[in-house]
Amino acid sequence: MAFNYDNYLRVNKMPTLWCWGCGDGVILKAFIRAVDKLGWKKDDVCVVSGIGCSGRFSSYVDFNTVHTTHGRTVAFATGVKLANPDKHVICVAGDGDGLAIGGNHTIHGCRRNIDITLILINNFIYGLTNSQTSPTTPQGMWTVSQKAGNIDPTFDACELAIASGASFVARETVNSPKKLEKVLLQAMEHKGFSFVDVLSNCHINLGRKNKMQSAMANLDWIDSITVSKKKYDKMSPEEQKNLFPTGVLKHDTEAREYCEMYEEIKKVQQGERKPLTQDDFDKKI
Amino acid sequence: MAAMTAPENTPVWVNTARCKACDICVDACPAGVLSMQQEPTSTLGAMISVIAPDSCIGCNECELTCPDFAIYVAEKKEFKFAKLTDSSKARQEAIVKNGYRLPEDYKEAN
Repeated sequence: MAFNYDNYLRVNKMPTLWCWGCGDGVILKAFIRAVDKLGWKKDDVCVVSGIGCSGRFSSYVDFNTVHTTHGRTVAFATGVKLANPDKHVICVAGDGDGLAIGGNHTIHGCRRNIDITLILINNFIYGLTNSQTSPTTPQGMWTVSQKAGNIDPTFDACELAIASGASFVARETVNSPKKLEKVLLQAMEHKGFSFVDVLSNCHINLGRKNKMQSAMANLDWIDSITVSKKKYDKMSPEEQKNLFPTGVLKHDTEAREYCEMYEEIKKVQQGERKPLTQDDFDKKI
Repeated sequence: MAAMTAPENTPVWVNTARCKACDICVDACPAGVLSMQQEPTSTLGAMISVIAPDSCIGCNECELTCPDFAIYVAEKKEFKFAKLTDSSKARQEAIVKNGYRLPEDYKEAN
């Protein structure tokens, strides 16, 4: 009784268009298993994706799906969620999609704490357009746009999300599909904005020129730059310098969710209550 | 839960129409069950094959790490899986060293 993913896939679109060994497929599988465990109906789930290799994500799953413009996943998803507060909205973005062109939408989604799950597939490069520098490309790596070595400092996606106010922030890698499934399940269950940074491999466009020609070499590199949060917390700042902690980094169940607050606005418009004042909020400024 | 029944007496099976021969499952297997084989009609010139089904320990690693929905593992109650032995570990090592293909002149350790 192996898990049958076909129940959740658009089988006529198989095999996927992703390169051989692409981590996106592992994330898609973990996501499907997590949805299956939650027992959600297919009609109650909406997957929104933008442009990039990660944009194909919405084409393969048999849920309600939206394939939107570049970087606008969170913007579209916010609209979908406000119109259907009882449905589950999941965004999928790449590192270029979610942090560069859509960086603005990502931080404001985090700030509003709206009940959306954002899966950020972080492969450290613009993969679809053939290796341009992305906001997470490590310094010193070869890219098509910086052939002498990348000099741009990088974003730490999770730090960005925590600072912007997301109430659930986690990081996981494609090396551990079981843990990834668990984290995605937690993120989707969480009421509020959940941000999951999934480190993935792109051995074709990142690895080829950076001494990681095979998927396995690229996955080993990801393994070498990540460490569990438990271990990370015990390390000295010097040891922490070149490592990413994995696991749940922030889980705040107290923060108020945007759709709930929006219900109050609806009541005001329908004349059921007085307009909101500062007294309705714990945090005044 | 979405489930599919395993073919009879099969620990691990492959949907070759979806496999892209990325070598990840061969790398992930601890027991030398899987190997790449030459297949001229495939894009990368190789295709996965189950070379030692009797050694499969049912750890599910290949299924979890396959990005292409191509490989499936039976459940414990459907197949009597083997224990991890030294000879299967040695075979796995030889396969990985030889570029994820079983060496042609490979002899079992015992």
